[in-house]
Amino acid sequence: MATTKLRGSTLTRRLFTGLAAAAAIGVLAACSSATPQSSDGKPSGKLQMLVSSSDATDAGFRAINAAFEKQYPDVDVVFSTVSNDNYPATKSSRLTAGNLDLFVVKGMMETPSYAKDAATDDARLAQAGGLVDLTHESFLAKYTSSLLDAQAIGGKQYSVPTGVSYYTGVFYNKKIFADNGLKVPTTWSEFTAVVDALKAKGITPFGVGGKDSWPAGLPMLASVASLYPHATDKQQLAKDLWTNQAKLTDPTEVKVLQQTEYVLQNAQQGAAGADYTSIPSGFAGGKFAMTVDGTWDQPTIETAVGGKFDYGYFPFPGSDNAADNALLNGKTELQLAIPSSAKNKTAALAWLKFFSEKKNYETFLAKSGFSSAQPGISTSTFLQSIGEYTKSYEPAWDQIWFANNKAGQDAVFPFDYPALKPLGSKTPEQAAEAAQKAWSAAG
Amino acid sequence: MTQSFPFPRRMPVRITFGLGMLLLGIFGFVPAVGVLVASFTDLRGIPGLPIDFVGIQNYVDFFSPAKWADSANALKNTIIFAVASTVVQIVLALGIAVLLNRSIKGRAFYRAVVFMPTILGVTVTGLIWSLIFNVSGGPAASVLNLFGKHSAFFGDPKLALALVILVQVWMVIGISVIIFLSGLQAVPEELEEAAEIDGASSWQRFRNVTVPLLAPSITANVLLGIVNALQSYQLIYVLSGPNNRSTQVLSLLVYVQGFGGASGTTLSQSQGYAAAVSMVQFVLVAIVSLIALAILRRREAKL
Repeated sequence: MATTKLRGSTLTRRLFTGLAAAAAIGVLAACSSATPQSSDGKPSGKLQMLVSSSDATDAGFRAINAAFEKQYPDVDVVFSTVSNDNYPATKSSRLTAGNLDLFVVKGMMETPSYAKDAATDDARLAQAGGLVDLTHESFLAKYTSSLLDAQAIGGKQYSVPTGVSYYTGVFYNKKIFADNGLKVPTTWSEFTAVVDALKAKGITPFGVGGKDSWPAGLPMLASVASLYPHATDKQQLAKDLWTNQAKLTDPTEVKVLQQTEYVLQNAQQGAAGADYTSIPSGFAGGKFAMTVDGTWDQPTIETAVGGKFDYGYFPFPGSDNAADNALLNGKTELQLAIPSSAKNKTAALAWLKFFSEKKNYETFLAKSGFSSAQPGISTSTFLQSIGEYTKSYEPAWDQIWFANNKAGQDAVFPFDYPALKPLGSKTPEQAAEAAQKAWSAAG
Repeated sequence: MTQSFPFPRRMPVRITFGLGMLLLGIFGFVPAVGVLVASFTDLRGIPGLPIDFVGIQNYVDFFSPAKWADSANALKNTIIFAVASTVVQIVLALGIAVLLNRSIKGRAFYRAVVFMPTILGVTVTGLIWSLIFNVSGGPAASVLNLFGKHSAFFGDPKLALALVILVQVWMVIGISVIIFLSGLQAVPEELEEAAEIDGASSWQRFRNVTVPLLAPSITANVLLGIVNALQSYQLIYVLSGPNNRSTQVLSLLVYVQGFGGASGTTLSQSQGYAAAVSMVQFVLVAIVSLIALAILRRREAKL
């Protein structure tokens, strides 16, 4: 009978259950085991590091990590790299789990009074004491003071800027330009003439990776850079929008969307469904003559082109006044911070000091493609070639604009480029109207 | 006692069931209550930040004019996605199950092939279909090129949701087929034979004998399909990204608000707001499921 049989195997099953429970507890305990810590003196143990990924910067960090482990053999750098879209979720879970020693923070800037409720998560984290204060660390003195000033929160420093990127420019195929007698345009009318000439020859003007959405926003940022050429112009626009002194349906704001749409409409077939990562190979294959992209992608483009032709980079000429298009706009890249909950602060501080040393920093810049955040550092041939466009640092629009969490998605950027054809289904005027409606409704 | 209670003692049963309930409580009920509580706060994604009680503000925001365009868009996409994927899935699965219930050569192999996508998982499925619909040189693009056409596929706002539904159906149809197959095998052959003797055509036998007897399988498939589709966001995330308005469903909105932020913006992770959206989604799933269940049960009772 079943009952008797069950009784006969009770002991075995209890033993099995007990062993299974013990194993489960063991596994759970192993999962939550603490990272080995270093003492106050020599760095040792595991250094948990998390960054948002790109091929070039990952290569730069890996080179630094290898050199760091060579100098500090007792340290094991556990390097994690996560895509931009997944980075906030990963950062959140790793911070909650308390297994981060060094990580990338974003949006480290003082929140203006008109947008006081729109402070970024990382700025709030710094203010709440969640990041280690680096203000008095000697290695920070190596960095450009204006960059440090821009990232100060409450007058204190919480992060190390790993470099500067510019992303309001256009990579162009010099061979295609030369073959068709085209010169680098410096005004909007010259730019449209170049596009018309390319189209007349059956050459696709632009490559855009629209599937990832944000790359299609680069022409928008580039247009703002030209139409609001100085930081003060952008700051005034941001303030005017927040205080409802300006509208997204005003002529210049609509022009931003019109110029963005112009690029999208003259992009390769299927641009709205193309991956960002497919653009360098498309550019290298001559499928299009230009792409609006950031200098962070130059090492990838360089590898893809492989010396088949020369290429260059010029500021997006959105204005008909060439002087307004003279400078590239940029941002401080991948700021590294130490969370207060870090278990291995000693190793994290040692890593930042090691990274900041001239020789190591040059190694990182050579691989990452970033412009230097330290004065007196030699830069790549490409960065030297765009020196005239970067002689004075101008922050890009997304470094000034604070999105309103209360507003709808149409007003996030707030220029509603995702709504434009072919990404969406709206004209620039309709997209501007939708953005203004979402913005006004948020109060 | 042994006849009605087939275990030697009550205590081990109580302990094991109790442990099960405890696990369910800790990992199911407590988080659910936690989400409800979080929906009344301004909880953010970063630990260590102060958390304030905001009452029903998150719910007010969801239905506010500022957010309504996003909320309505997500609701619309959710309903289209759930209804279309469930209907297509059930109709196709029933057809396939009827075919695979016949004594055809290689039946076991075909059944395995139909079920295979189910075990691939979301990421692999997403990768496969991203490659198929790759705009530059993918198989689908190549076929269109033969006819002088082109498409942005997942980047086309008019096409993206339909393609995502297609992939969703492809991925989960195996489970529906298995459920229908088990139902079909429970249909007594005598009834079919009796109907045939009475002169019923194949279609009449299928319509008036097979389908009514499959009612419990249809109920199970409809409920599984609706609940699965209403909660699914991973596939959409992998195929068309988190910020594609044309495919943004409620559960994806929850993810984006709670964990995603948005590249190139200063937007915070608003987990309190995301919790409120997930509560709205919970109510929607509950209402739709209960209505569907009531209709299907009534239909089963009639049959």
